[in-house]
Amino acid sequence: MVQAPARSSASLLALVVAALITIPIADGLFRIPIQVSDSLEAIVIATRYHSTRQLLQDSVTFSPTTFRPMRYLQARWLLQVVDATGFTYNGVFRTVHVALMTLLVLLFLIAVRVRDWIDFVAFSVAFPVLIGIQTFVAMLMEAFPVNHYAEVGVCALAVFVLARHPPRWFVPVIACALLAFALSVIESGAMVWVTVICCAAAGMRGMSRSTIVAATVVFGAYLLLRHSLGISTPGIGGHGSGFGDHFYSPEELAQRFGAQPLGFMIYNVAGGLASLLFAEPRQGVYSLLAAWHAREIHPVVVINIVSSLATTALLVWYAATRLTTNRSTWSDADRMFVAACAVMAINATLNAAYMKDEIMGVGGLFYAIATFVAVRALIESIPRQTVPASLLIPLLVTAGSALWTFRTVGMHYQLRYDAFKTRNDWIDVLRPDKREDWPRDPEELAITQRIRTEAIDRRVASPSFLPRWADRYWVE
Amino acid sequence: MRLLQRFARVSTLLMAFPCLALAGLGSWWTAGGLSGGGLWPPDTVTLSEAVASRNNAEALRLIAHGADPNRAARVRDGLLTNGYDVIVTPVEAAVGAQRADSLRMLLANGAVVDDQELLVLRCFERTRRDSGVREILDARSSAEPECAGVRLPVDRAR
Repeated sequence: MVQAPARSSASLLALVVAALITIPIADGLFRIPIQVSDSLEAIVIATRYHSTRQLLQDSVTFSPTTFRPMRYLQARWLLQVVDATGFTYNGVFRTVHVALMTLLVLLFLIAVRVRDWIDFVAFSVAFPVLIGIQTFVAMLMEAFPVNHYAEVGVCALAVFVLARHPPRWFVPVIACALLAFALSVIESGAMVWVTVICCAAAGMRGMSRSTIVAATVVFGAYLLLRHSLGISTPGIGGHGSGFGDHFYSPEELAQRFGAQPLGFMIYNVAGGLASLLFAEPRQGVYSLLAAWHAREIHPVVVINIVSSLATTALLVWYAATRLTTNRSTWSDADRMFVAACAVMAINATLNAAYMKDEIMGVGGLFYAIATFVAVRALIESIPRQTVPASLLIPLLVTAGSALWTFRTVGMHYQLRYDAFKTRNDWIDVLRPDKREDWPRDPEELAITQRIRTEAIDRRVASPSFLPRWADRYWVE
Repeated sequence: MRLLQRFARVSTLLMAFPCLALAGLGSWWTAGGLSGGGLWPPDTVTLSEAVASRNNAEALRLIAHGADPNRAARVRDGLLTNGYDVIVTPVEAAVGAQRADSLRMLLANGAVVDDQELLVLRCFERTRRDSGVREILDARSSAEPECAGVRLPVDRAR
């Protein structure tokens, strides 16, 4: 391997490469207007309240199965930013989405710490995995006014970064603050606590006993609060999900699995992990099975499965060759790898009731971290390999990386498609021929009209003018 | 053998190539975006083309910016026809694209359909069947249309 005389040039190049890849994605993300589904309602609710305190009080009782007060509070704060600055609603809300994605990329860079050229090559293989994995694009396309899944991802990665550093007095404070924030945003915020526990279990030095105890107390308090508020966990039938080669509506799921849900829940948890490792199933549906029945397979399925299989094989190789049963002999990289894999595995349990790519968002981030560790070890092992192996390994990794890069390019297509769809969703809001459905409250009507006008004014590419082959290669 | 080993070392750098190529593309797209182009920029379309490409939001934007919902305009090859461009009104484009939602939107935003145009649209729908479009058109005249001799919008350019 070519050794680097200057570590800063490798880390600087990694930063530049990450920026060059991220900027056009940020542009595509910014072009998506505020979504109607899941966004408009939260924004409208936030406008109805004249005091943050009252909104906070009421928001905890908005749903019998969710505790998400920060959804409404954040929407309210962003509305206040709009009022104070005169910026557009779409501009402010979408800027937050872009900022969250940028934070995810920066935290990934900090987590993997590119210091030399071996790191840089490993980073250049792992970065397309981070961006190209289906859970990342699903996370970015989330319809909440502020992207809750991305917020949880940022908090989990921040905890992981803290775990890589020596323990400091403020680590428990920051970890608890991140956990409390994530839990008040969405239930997947529990992944922040999972990250604390996994990093500690793997022996990462930044996670001290006090951090574990403090985070567990916060998580326990959260569960108690939910219980005292009578908030239950959504069961089977609360959301549509797939089984085999078919996607079922919530009603169909309740009818089919409601009486005996255990088998379906095991299917979902196993499927959640499999979706990370093998890119199948998606939303619970095995495209390969559907393709088998239809006798037609789209290239996107093959590309996703082959690239994921190759990367997962690399992770298995690392685990088999590096991880001994004696934890005390593990290197820092080993501990990172174990923590990342543990987070991925536990993340899958959140799919118990239904499967969704977004739910595995945190797992996807850690899949890329584990890939970085494994690729780095593989590169280091090349001088010890036979000549044929040392020739073959770079070629195979390059082929796998090329597939992941292709998947990353597909993200641009998916973002354009989503922007088109979201913009057109606004046509059905405030329809001139259905004035009886318009909001009665003048303030609510005014804000809906303004966001709708802004959304329709955001010009986006139409899929009719995008490459016709793109659907088959990038959309599953 | 030594040459092969040296090649193996250098080939490790090959692993970074796809990501570097993507970074290169990213800089190209960003530079293009700053100059108004970039990767898949918004398309410039006529009102009829917006409807034909199922882009109701763009159609509404164009109407809001003064486009006449009754004026015929060019629709490029590949949207309603194969092999040639065609000049059609927005409502004709909606019928040709089998979009009841687009037709409804146009009618709610100033499109006018007289008896002659209604006959053309109903005959056009017979060649591009869509139950939603038919329901809207039949609500204006329930008698079965006499389509003999009616020239369809997509035949005008031939």
